[in-house]
Amino acid sequence: MKLFRRVKYWLRARQNQADLAEEIEFHRSMGAAMGNTTRAREDARAVWIWPWLESVMQDIRYALRNLRAHPGFTAVAILALGCAIGLNTSLFTVFNAIANRPWPVADAGRVVNILQFSDRHKTHGFSLEESRYLDTHSKTISGIFAMRSGQNVGIEGGKAVSSWVSGRYFDVLGIGMQQGRGFRADEDVLDAPEPVVVVSYAFWQDRLGSDPHAVGKQLRIEDVPLTIVGVTASDFSGTDAMSVDLYIPMSAATLLQPHAEWMKDFLHSPDYCCTNVAGRLAPGVSRTQAEAELAVLHQQFRAQTHDVSYGVLLTGTAFLNSGKSDKIIPVFALMALGVMLVLLLACANVGNLLLARAAARQHEISVRLSVGANRARIVRQLLTESLVLACAAGALGVGTAWWLPSLVFRYAISDNLSFHLVPDSVVLVYALALSAATCIIFGLAPSLHATRPGGIRSRFSLRSVLLTAQVALSVVLLVGAGLMTRGVERARTQDPGFKISGVSIAQFDLPANSYDKSRARAFFALLSRDLAQQPVGLTRLAPLGNGQNWTSFRLPGETEKQARTVLVHEVNRGYFDVLGIPLLEGRTLEDADANRSVVLINQTLANRFFDGNALGKSVVAGKPYAPHEIVGIVKDAYTTGLDEISPTIYFPISGDSIALALFRATPATADAIAGVAKQIDARAGTTFTPLSANLDKYLQASRAGAAIAEGLGGFALLLATIGMFGVFAYCVEQRTKEIGIRMALGARPKQVIGLVLGSSSRAVLAGLLLGFLGAAAGSQLLRKLLFGLSPFDPVSYAMVALLLAAAGLGATFLPARRATKIDPMTALRCE
Amino acid sequence: MGTDKSSELLPGTLDLLVLKTLARGRMHGYGIAQHLKTISEDVLQVGESSLYPALQRLLLNGYVEAEWGVSENNRRARYYTLTALGRKQLSAERREFDRMVLAIQKALA
Repeated sequence: MKLFRRVKYWLRARQNQADLAEEIEFHRSMGAAMGNTTRAREDARAVWIWPWLESVMQDIRYALRNLRAHPGFTAVAILALGCAIGLNTSLFTVFNAIANRPWPVADAGRVVNILQFSDRHKTHGFSLEESRYLDTHSKTISGIFAMRSGQNVGIEGGKAVSSWVSGRYFDVLGIGMQQGRGFRADEDVLDAPEPVVVVSYAFWQDRLGSDPHAVGKQLRIEDVPLTIVGVTASDFSGTDAMSVDLYIPMSAATLLQPHAEWMKDFLHSPDYCCTNVAGRLAPGVSRTQAEAELAVLHQQFRAQTHDVSYGVLLTGTAFLNSGKSDKIIPVFALMALGVMLVLLLACANVGNLLLARAAARQHEISVRLSVGANRARIVRQLLTESLVLACAAGALGVGTAWWLPSLVFRYAISDNLSFHLVPDSVVLVYALALSAATCIIFGLAPSLHATRPGGIRSRFSLRSVLLTAQVALSVVLLVGAGLMTRGVERARTQDPGFKISGVSIAQFDLPANSYDKSRARAFFALLSRDLAQQPVGLTRLAPLGNGQNWTSFRLPGETEKQARTVLVHEVNRGYFDVLGIPLLEGRTLEDADANRSVVLINQTLANRFFDGNALGKSVVAGKPYAPHEIVGIVKDAYTTGLDEISPTIYFPISGDSIALALFRATPATADAIAGVAKQIDARAGTTFTPLSANLDKYLQASRAGAAIAEGLGGFALLLATIGMFGVFAYCVEQRTKEIGIRMALGARPKQVIGLVLGSSSRAVLAGLLLGFLGAAAGSQLLRKLLFGLSPFDPVSYAMVALLLAAAGLGATFLPARRATKIDPMTALRCE
Repeated sequence: MGTDKSSELLPGTLDLLVLKTLARGRMHGYGIAQHLKTISEDVLQVGESSLYPALQRLLLNGYVEAEWGVSENNRRARYYTLTALGRKQLSAERREFDRMVLAIQKALA
């Protein structure tokens, strides 16, 4: 009841206070005034305030006054903590967006990704045929659909990203429509593809000019007219990491690529691997029940065609659950570690500043203690000051998290992501908790220290410990940044085993429906006729082009269960000539090999599976899945990634479809190649890319990673420098009198400086040492990101030592100069 | 500040006196002060800075209720009435006060 009355009072606070004022005014007008009206009003109002709130408010007011009186300190503290909290909150915002948020669909908790796995860390989807089988027979999943995302297609006036989906996609997910409808089940029938398309809200806005009558109109995709049947609602951002412009029924894909050989396999083959599959759990069914049923169905399906079956796993639909966590979690863990270290560093930094302030307030505190103030009360008040700082920093941090993640993502990865990278309530709670924790970390020790009975006295001071911590933390971060930067540099400059400079890639841009066999044959014939003088490499995958093909492979005599996957390339002889990959044994490929069962392999495969004696032996792989004779062994080359070499098989390229061409870049060759494409189809375009651009693109993520690490390292160095400066300056100030006396007694400036800064310098050196130890241990975590650079790379460590030495000198300079400028007489008179 | 500011009175007595005064009937703040002054033959002079916090305290505890009315000289004034809870509190405080006075007298005797 009392609480109720209090709340009611504050809800009408203004009215109540006006009433009170009027009442007192009435009282005074009636006769003899006694006492102070303002006081009466304030005391009367104070009755309604919670007693504890009153004293907290008092503490906060006091803290604010104090912080305002020291704007320099306040600004540095809030900026340092704010940036650190901002970095942490930003990272968490990203993590939250991709780990915690399921697909933006109705009742998303019931929607699951359906995966098969050979072991828990290797999950993949199903063939389209199997997904249809599962959908037909499952009783625990009310609807199963497949998705193939990220298909680039040509539309009038540009490119668009399409996603091919099963007919049930919209229906099962319950996706809202801005206009029109999703697909009907009869629009995804294999033998009767319907030319229909659903467009995304963003596409409708940007490319269709928000046409209110878009439904029913035609959109030419790959030169094929498709009818728009629907526009998705604005709140549906897709079920893939990249944003999608167009949704096309699976079966309609054949309309876009009528001659694509793989399309038949993709749509029909029970062995085709793999398409992402998802579904919605039937009412009342748990994931475990559904997993059990699907595992049985999977076995039944595989028994029809194949002897091997795997387990079935259902996961939530948040991005991290879709079988991508293995690659992403370690990256997150590393970044989290980095920003945590920065936060600790900022805490140590501000903690030290607070200590210095506490020392300056020693007088005030000891007076308060001696007149009987409770120590806990003073600690609480000092902590309130920390809390105010932490809250301001937290607000700055959340503000940072609003723009930083999307900026970094756009710069480092892609501007085409569907994630909504802004803080939500979960992030706000996180930031709040982080600020509170921060406040305790940086504020508690100094305030306990400052109110210690007997004052601050110890030699091995908390200040030195904090200084050591700052230096050590910044060393760890700087070494990490140094290693990553040098790793990328090494990757860029080391020999990848093939030529990069001077090599160009020609990519042919034909209307999709003109990729048929006869055109492909003509293409190869024309190439060898018109470009007989120069080597031209043909391949399906550009080196460092972010694509890999893997194939199952076994030795003759091994069973199917012993089969393993290796990298596979389809190339011609010119591929090795243009890229300068030397032949080690046997012979290279010939044009006639296209009809023979022969392969080349790389050194690693030869050594791993044949002990080096591979020539003349056979591998069972490829299509048809049969023995192929090894006719040659080539040197290892990092064509699929600079971090490691995998066992690789090179098949002679088949003439059935048009490939990429690699050539030594001269204008004449480029013209000749473009000419060949024009002869195939007058509408054909040819895009030329230097191979070095692929290298740059390949290294983009690593560069961004190194840039982030450098940013963190630089910030750490700045904080540590401020920290060192603060401590040095404080030491000089504190011992002004002593320095004065020493100088009066004839001490030389050098001696004075050595004396004053000696102990702090020891703390810095200790920090440097500890930091190196920490970095040596911690950098093992970076090993995978260093492209073979040793985590103990001496150059990185030496650079960091130099940087810190420079920072240390910089931080000492002003305080030292001040120390030598102290005039003994002034110093002594001061007290 | 939940403490009593009427330093010339025993702690808590002002609340008791106000409650007792209001037991006679509805009254405004000035009226309460006047009543106490008259009845104590000018000994109890209660100032605004003690009276109004006390009244707010009684409001907060639900012992009295306030409403605006018209004073005897035709001005707007805020009248206080004792609630049932206040009546109960009055007798409880009265008992406690008597006990205390008795104890003090014994100690001084």
